[in-house]
Amino acid sequence: MKSSRRNAIKGAAAALGAISAPSIGRSQAPGFTLVWADDSNSDVTYDPRVTQSRHEEQIIVQVFDQLIMSDEKGNLAPGLATAWEMAPNGLSLRLKLREGVRFHDGTAFNAEAVKYTFDSIVDPATGSQGAVDMIGPYERTEILGAHEVRVHYRAPNAGAIDSLTENEMSIVSPTAAQRLGNTGFAQAPVGTGPFRFVSWDRGREVVLERNPDYAWAPSWSTVQGPSNVHRIVHRFIPNNATRVAALEAGEVHAADILPALDTRRLNDSGKFRSMVGVAAGLSFGASLNTSKPPFNDIRVRQAFMYAIDRVRLAQNLYFGIINPAYGPLASTTPEYWNGAEQYYRFDRARAERLLEEAGWRMGPNGIRVKEGQPLRAYFPSLLLPDVAVALQAEARRVGFEIVVENVLKQRQDELLMTNQYEMAVVRWVSNDPGILRVPFHSSNIPEPGKFKFNWARVNDPALDGMIARAAAATTAAERSTLYRELQKDIMDRAIFLPIHDQVQTAVHSTRVAGLRFARGNWQIRFHEARPTA
Amino acid sequence: MQYFVTRILGVVPVLVFTWTLVFVVLQVIPGDPVNLMLAGVPASEEVRQRERERLGLDRPVAERYVGFLVRAVQGDLGESFRSRRPVGEMIAEQMWPTIELAVGGLLVGLLLGIVLGILAGIRPNSIVDSVCMALALVGVSLPSFWIGMLLIYVFGTVLMVVPITGRGLWALILPSITVGLFIAGGFARLVRASIIEAMGQDYIRTARAKGLPPVKVVLKHALRNAMIPPVTLLGIQFALLIGGAVVTENVFARPGLGTMLVDAVLTKDMPLVQALVVYKTAAYVFINVMIDIVYAIIDPRVRLERS
Repeated sequence: MKSSRRNAIKGAAAALGAISAPSIGRSQAPGFTLVWADDSNSDVTYDPRVTQSRHEEQIIVQVFDQLIMSDEKGNLAPGLATAWEMAPNGLSLRLKLREGVRFHDGTAFNAEAVKYTFDSIVDPATGSQGAVDMIGPYERTEILGAHEVRVHYRAPNAGAIDSLTENEMSIVSPTAAQRLGNTGFAQAPVGTGPFRFVSWDRGREVVLERNPDYAWAPSWSTVQGPSNVHRIVHRFIPNNATRVAALEAGEVHAADILPALDTRRLNDSGKFRSMVGVAAGLSFGASLNTSKPPFNDIRVRQAFMYAIDRVRLAQNLYFGIINPAYGPLASTTPEYWNGAEQYYRFDRARAERLLEEAGWRMGPNGIRVKEGQPLRAYFPSLLLPDVAVALQAEARRVGFEIVVENVLKQRQDELLMTNQYEMAVVRWVSNDPGILRVPFHSSNIPEPGKFKFNWARVNDPALDGMIARAAAATTAAERSTLYRELQKDIMDRAIFLPIHDQVQTAVHSTRVAGLRFARGNWQIRFHEARPTA
Repeated sequence: MQYFVTRILGVVPVLVFTWTLVFVVLQVIPGDPVNLMLAGVPASEEVRQRERERLGLDRPVAERYVGFLVRAVQGDLGESFRSRRPVGEMIAEQMWPTIELAVGGLLVGLLLGIVLGILAGIRPNSIVDSVCMALALVGVSLPSFWIGMLLIYVFGTVLMVVPITGRGLWALILPSITVGLFIAGGFARLVRASIIEAMGQDYIRTARAKGLPPVKVVLKHALRNAMIPPVTLLGIQFALLIGGAVVTENVFARPGLGTMLVDAVLTKDMPLVQALVVYKTAAYVFINVMIDIVYAIIDPRVRLERS
């Protein structure tokens, strides 16, 4: 009786030991496995043609290549295309394609693959949410040879070359996309990149394994052949505290978007290195809905901007890691105009004066009132509610009530399409100042059935004209001038409240090195990573 | 036997009623699922109408209601609006991690609850009793995310004796304790009350008089008779856990049905919500039947009564 009980206990202990999971130091696979902790758990698709999520792109950037590859500083290099030439009229782009490249499923990379990818991006059945905007006024792809194409545009597309460096314009395997269908391809993507997709354990992790045949890295890469990382385990750990703990305990090598205080603390400890990249593109800021009260009055918009002390806000929220922003473009974007920094410097008295002028008198409970209506703005917040709440506090001081509600994307999209909001935060990462078209061109005003990003709902042919002319500029000097004027005009209209830089704060253990920001300073590339120990 | 067959068949009307309730509520909540599903897609009204037809949203309500029941009986629970994957497949994927956590939490709760309850029950109104009941109160009152984070900090980051995230039994320890502490709290109090009552019975006095060791008196005689109310509570707790423990899942980065249901409700993914509610209801009823079976095992009087 007693001995069988003892055996049972021994047996149970042995079973426990056998089933228990190895920590990252004891992975059974040969070679180095890099473990990354991602701050989200809401990935739906890894199809570059469909995605508009930076989380999904963190996988896409390892699995796919683009025709032209840009490093984090904006230096372009041949990728899947070895040479390119834009027609003088901006209506077509000729590309010579690299030979000897294969997709992870063995399909040869050629002109057909490029044509298939681009055609499918504009096909409504694909359901593209990001690429369809990146691709510009795409008309068709003409196949000139097995490794040569000419891409035709309906209108002059000065940003064509730059757009080809975007993750959303990665080239997909036509064989895999057709065999798996769009839903299947989204869950098992096939590209030409340094890592191939292995598995997706929903809610837990994605596993990638290196492409041993990878021999077409861009010239700016410090590793030209296959990666020194044999496997990548991309873990979903949405809880901030848990992600920090996992990094500190050594369960992951690197983690993204850690709270500012932890980023500082870990970096100062010497055992970790933080990578802080200012993403190019739009500043993190709020679009003010000009189509209805209270923001249809420019004085109210200006007052709102004068009332926000963004220097103090950035310092309080981010402990010196993130800087305040002053203009619509992020400071690292080409053609950034630093004149924007003179606009709307914090001045509460001036804000109050403007509100008085606009007829908003202080009411009994500290909120201004006009014709019986309170000065109130509804602010559905998808991201970073702490910023929204800080804005709310600042605005309250001048008698402005901001109603902040934390909503999920689906709900926010619905509110935006049906014009049921007064302000909303729009973010966009891009290396092209032409990105200003996205939040400010009248063709981008959202409606039911049409989800676009002009959330200020500004509809002015004069502004549209400036945006179009700047994008079509043919000389560098002309481009600079036109973009400076455009930024000034946007600031004069007071339609966008810049708050702070968009910053990616990734932290990694000093046991690994070679992690590098991808173009735009958002995703991290692992191709050049290696263990240091 | 007939008793149990009747009980299990009783699941069906409950499921139909619950499903009807969920269906009605989801109809009433504002928000067009197609617009929500295609949010972010530059889709024209024609495309949306086509989607509505594909999903059957343009049919009359009664037809949709009956249609789903008919398909469900054949095993087809529909596709998620968001991911377009069969809902049954999605639930099956997340079921195992959820069950793991439920069983782990239950075992911890059971063990801790019995120990605390017995220690308190055999010496009522003593210091041991107060300490045990205070611990039980702490387990019930502390929010699980706080317990979870504290455990992560102490055992994961400082002492580094268990993994914080991941799969396998080692990674199940901290989340099980997090869930189990809450269960243990309520369970301990119930065990204590039942033990006190049992210990006051005549047969206990007889057992002592016969010279049985105290451990045997408590564990073999008192505990078995004291277990019926606690087992009921345990069953209810387990049924709740089978539906997922959303906060613990989030803190420990574990996939699970709790997170899945919350996400589905917030994104109005109707087929997924309906399937999950049906699953939870069925699980709940099934576990209640299991509890009844356990009663018969623990208490021969119930067995005799039934036959």
